[in-house]
Amino acid sequence: MRGLEELDHYEILELSRDASFQEIDEAYRILRETYAEGSLALYSLFSEGDAVVMRERMEEAYRVLSDLTRRRGYDESQRDAKERPPAFVQHVEVESEHRHKESLPLGSSTGRDAEVEEPAAGEWDGAALRRARIQSGLELEEIAEITKVGIRTLRQIEGDAFEDLPATVYVRGFVMTYARTIGLDPVRVVASYLRRFEESRSDQGRGRFLGRR
Amino acid sequence: MSVQSTTHSNSSPGHAQASASVTRSESARSPRLIAIGGGKGGVGKTFVAANLAVALARLGRRVVAVDADLDGANLHTCLGLPSPEISLADFVAGRTMEPEKLLMQTREANLQVIAGTHANLDTPQPGQSQRVELLRGLRRLAADYVLIDLGAGSQRAVLDYFLVADDGLLVIRPEPTSVENAYSFLRAAFYRRLQLAARGYGVREIVSEAMDQRNERGIRTPYDLMREIEAADPVEGRRFMEAMRAFRPRIIVNEARTESDVKLGFSVASVCEKFFGFRADYLGYVNYQKEARDSVRARRALVEYREASEAAIYLKRIARKLADSSEAKTLSS
Repeated sequence: MRGLEELDHYEILELSRDASFQEIDEAYRILRETYAEGSLALYSLFSEGDAVVMRERMEEAYRVLSDLTRRRGYDESQRDAKERPPAFVQHVEVESEHRHKESLPLGSSTGRDAEVEEPAAGEWDGAALRRARIQSGLELEEIAEITKVGIRTLRQIEGDAFEDLPATVYVRGFVMTYARTIGLDPVRVVASYLRRFEESRSDQGRGRFLGRR
Repeated sequence: MSVQSTTHSNSSPGHAQASASVTRSESARSPRLIAIGGGKGGVGKTFVAANLAVALARLGRRVVAVDADLDGANLHTCLGLPSPEISLADFVAGRTMEPEKLLMQTREANLQVIAGTHANLDTPQPGQSQRVELLRGLRRLAADYVLIDLGAGSQRAVLDYFLVADDGLLVIRPEPTSVENAYSFLRAAFYRRLQLAARGYGVREIVSEAMDQRNERGIRTPYDLMREIEAADPVEGRRFMEAMRAFRPRIIVNEARTESDVKLGFSVASVCEKFFGFRADYLGYVNYQKEARDSVRARRALVEYREASEAAIYLKRIARKLADSSEAKTLSS
């Protein structure tokens, strides 16, 4: 067991080394609320001093891990220190070797947008995503491997199987990391996809949070 | 989807000669013990326990719900039973040594209850050896799940049930008093576990000192305690880490009204990891609903009284999740 100051960025955000960007975003969002001033979860246990330390560590961890270049640099510096490559770096390397493409598999949309055709009326539905994905030369299995989103979920996204997908908060993350991976602008894709997703959900109403975690 | 009835057919050869026992039906596997605590009174432990019991029974599992809250026993009331003729009090008083003789049938086919106490009886608390005996008896019951509804507070008796159980469920209501008591409960349970794991006298001393919050060594957090133990005895230090890894409470947020109430479970789990150094799982939440109160007044479980209400749906999901995860564990073990 170690104190806060001894934990590395992954441990601070309670993530595994091969966490996807979506998982990083999600973890950060929850922790930011958990350790916010006046948070109910800290009541009686964390002193304000401890909470301040935790907040600073958390911000720094997120700043590094949410950025592909910084994350790689961090992983490498840690690898040098420990001689054991973190799983995340391994994935990226293996991946780029067998794809023979110059593009970065994760987090980078630079240079890819031009190759991918915008769907008609700018609507990103499952079919448009699938077309873009095939164009990018990635198999679903590869995307699952990189993003850590299950292949079934990816299929449901591409098939617009809204009733089978989990709560919005998760779908947002899944679509975002999917879009990023195939080189699309994640913000635009997510906005477009979720609009349709939410519409189909609005009549269902019920929170689907349980059972999905 | 679920592993319905797989536990029933899994008889292990080691129990072949135990078939003489009348308490065991065709199932040779001992039931999974699930303790439900929360530190504070009035957070809905009994409500959650009663509903999970009914929900599990309706999933086809054989369930025994035990009311270990001898001071404020009312699990039987939540399940619509009259004041019991026989209860755990009879066990404590030494009138019977076999828990199966205390069983009362409920309206649910698969659900039986061991009540906490009955009227006009001044119930003494069971001593340590009685608790061990009781737990042994509960493990012999012919059931798939034994749910133990714990009393409020963090007395040793309560903690020991929580620690011995296969699953420890912690019910929290999204309010400072409940969160505070949940943490003091976890702190106490955690120290108690370490105390039980400590072999060396010196180390046990350190743990005991740490449990006193105004200790002179300046041990403030479990982390400080680990440091202290490692310095005193590195081998013990490693054993403690093991003991800690096995401690994995599961959190239920009851009466959630807002989105941040719902997220409280994640937050408490994170704080447990950062502060105590053990993992906690967020099992799920039950939203605040008037029907929940109505069901208690009607002395029925919400999952059968208003089974289509949202809170009932959440409770049933928790039950299923509990069943799926523990049956996966059982099958892989």
